[in-house]
Amino acid sequence: MNSFLLQVVTMSAPLLLLAMAGYASERSGVINIGLEGKMLTACFVCAAFAPQFGAIGGVVMAILAGIVISMLHWTLTQVYRIDHIVSGMAINLLASGGTGFLEASGFAKNTLTEAQRLPLWFYYAVALLAPFLLFWAANHTRFGLQHKSVGSDPSKARLLGINPQRIRLLALTLTGVFSGLAGSLLVSETSTFTKDMTAGRGYIALAALILGGWRPIPAALSCLLFGLATAVQIQLSGKPMFGMQIPSEIWKMLPYIVTLLALAGLLGRNRTPAGLGKH
Amino acid sequence: MSFAVSMQNISKRFGMVQALDNVSFEVQAGTIHALVGENGAGKTTLIRALYGAMMPDDGSILIGGKTVKFRNSADAIGHRIGMVSQHYGIIGELTNLENLVLGSEGSAILNKVAMQARATELATSMGFEFDWDAESSTLGPAGGQKLEILKLLWRDSQIMILDEPTAMLSPQDSEALFVSLKQLAEKGATVIVVTHRVAEVFQHCKRVTVLRGGIKIADHNVDDVTPNQLAEEIVGGAVMERPQPVSSSKSSVRLKIDQLSVRGEKGDMAVRNLNLEVKMGQLVGIAGVDGNGQRELFHALIGVTRPISGTFSFDGSQWDSESSRTRITEGLRIIPEDRHEEGIIEDWSLLDSAALGLQRLPAFKNLSKGTKKQAPSMAEMFDTKFGRLSDEIASLSGGNQQRFVAGRALSLDAQLILAFQPARGLDLNSTTKVYNEIRRVCQAGACAIVVSFDLDELLDFCDRIVVMAHGELYEPQTEVARDRAAIGRLMVGAG
Repeated sequence: MNSFLLQVVTMSAPLLLLAMAGYASERSGVINIGLEGKMLTACFVCAAFAPQFGAIGGVVMAILAGIVISMLHWTLTQVYRIDHIVSGMAINLLASGGTGFLEASGFAKNTLTEAQRLPLWFYYAVALLAPFLLFWAANHTRFGLQHKSVGSDPSKARLLGINPQRIRLLALTLTGVFSGLAGSLLVSETSTFTKDMTAGRGYIALAALILGGWRPIPAALSCLLFGLATAVQIQLSGKPMFGMQIPSEIWKMLPYIVTLLALAGLLGRNRTPAGLGKH
Repeated sequence: MSFAVSMQNISKRFGMVQALDNVSFEVQAGTIHALVGENGAGKTTLIRALYGAMMPDDGSILIGGKTVKFRNSADAIGHRIGMVSQHYGIIGELTNLENLVLGSEGSAILNKVAMQARATELATSMGFEFDWDAESSTLGPAGGQKLEILKLLWRDSQIMILDEPTAMLSPQDSEALFVSLKQLAEKGATVIVVTHRVAEVFQHCKRVTVLRGGIKIADHNVDDVTPNQLAEEIVGGAVMERPQPVSSSKSSVRLKIDQLSVRGEKGDMAVRNLNLEVKMGQLVGIAGVDGNGQRELFHALIGVTRPISGTFSFDGSQWDSESSRTRITEGLRIIPEDRHEEGIIEDWSLLDSAALGLQRLPAFKNLSKGTKKQAPSMAEMFDTKFGRLSDEIASLSGGNQQRFVAGRALSLDAQLILAFQPARGLDLNSTTKVYNEIRRVCQAGACAIVVSFDLDELLDFCDRIVVMAHGELYEPQTEVARDRAAIGRLMVGAG
């Protein structure tokens, strides 16, 4: 049972951190389909730098990488006003191609030793606290309120003296931090970087965010649901059920089917931030 | 004399349009000052410059005698200037308290208890009441306007700019608003009201400035000028003769509504067992305070909402069981309440907008040919000012969007016109023109229902006035059919 719980946590924690990255960005009105690319880059950077700079250095570099890519997204969408989806997809392709190429050229080849990884409980603690912290910030701080307001109606916020670009810059910095953490956690769990190792987590995190109605705590619970489904899949995969041998491919579909059903069935009231993608 | 606001020789050009030409505008401290003019006269541009939302090309602004330069609204707010814009600055997704404090929260960490205490105190001082934790999307127009006033107080604004504040309010709420504004002016606030309602100027304001075509025409003490004189200055010539309403026609019934009941958004009974017959050629006005079921009635007639009981038919065609598509084909035309939500798609060109909602009519069988043919005449009907037909409709001013939407509704074989506040954002002569055109279409055999919260407008233009209160329809007795006081009593349910 303990190992099952651990599996749930292992499966959900990276998603959860990534969903918080998505929350910071999308609730401020910046569509962020590039979470996948941000996380992948962070994975690569952490794996590449931790051997030289140590565990903390690796995480710091991963966070910096997350921030740099987020700033690219901010510049493209807020300064040059490029379509948010296009910018996000470009980041995903760039990250996949770029890290794949560098890895093939011999970077980030090492398996991280114990000393080159931060302990997993650190990440789990952050993942546990982050949704509550963000929830509190949204309701009890000036930044949280302005963050919500520019995500709802940037032009009205501007007339109240708020600078939406500035708020979104800060929001995307936060996105960078969380995607950096999500990436380093994934690498810490596997110890090595492999090409496209994020395997669609960016999109699942986005789905969890939508499922949670762009609210941090429900989004975190959605990540746990996905983690649970994945853990169940791992437990049951390969075992006969009802006297039948169910192919493992079917089991692998389970978490995605759960997500899909949840998205289809539980989306009651539309909570999409009204200012998503607007200037 | 010292002025709270002094704008000197302000000029601003947008592309080909000279929006403001060397306009000077001075406002005495502690007064309510009206800024009047037709659409496109430059009123909104002038106050946007004062609020830092737009940088003028030329000219200077003095606040309390000191020259200032505003790069954005935050600068203006810093000089204790506050603005209530035409479309309201309230964000529906936030709570009332969050909207109140937004942009002026005081500290990085919000002290909600203290905030709520001060909010309640401010509200009480104005005689308002709010559920601070409720989402602002639940506020009606009058509630929104009150929250806007409190926002100005929260920011301790000394100079308050209100852009068409009564455009969506009932007579009673408008009256209450000006009572509040007078109260604030007596405490020393300087209030600038942009309006096109001449009556408001004379009832409530001390001074008035007239703009026309980007040029300042006149500055008066309100006591030194007559309503007619002011109206002529605004229009730049004679005020259009208003048509005489014709007596109720004896022709055949076209629209017949029978025992109609419709639920509102919150599940309440918004329309109750409503009966109404509209005859050929009739222009029926529905008077009433906002939120008494007018919206739901229209939505049911259009086909946006399904009624829970009752029927309605047009020329014998059972519309309640027909699709909106059929209703439109048979001649239903709409000038919707909220053009942003229901009338236009902001980033569509004028060409595409011409066919919006009417796309299945024969005129648009060939879409690109049809729009090229129809869009210019729709725009022309009420002199919509625009750049090119391929421009986004969002590039038009609010009044011009309304003109285009009205032109669209009245262009193609209209048989039943449903108009919700058709004069919203329009000036005197444009309003007259729109009603004239509705009447012309009616004389050709159509009929129309107009909802307006401005009783005077309905009295001026409609053949027959009915009143909606609490979802029920009342018809005044024939001897008081045009009696303002009697209709007013019905409006508040004291008939």
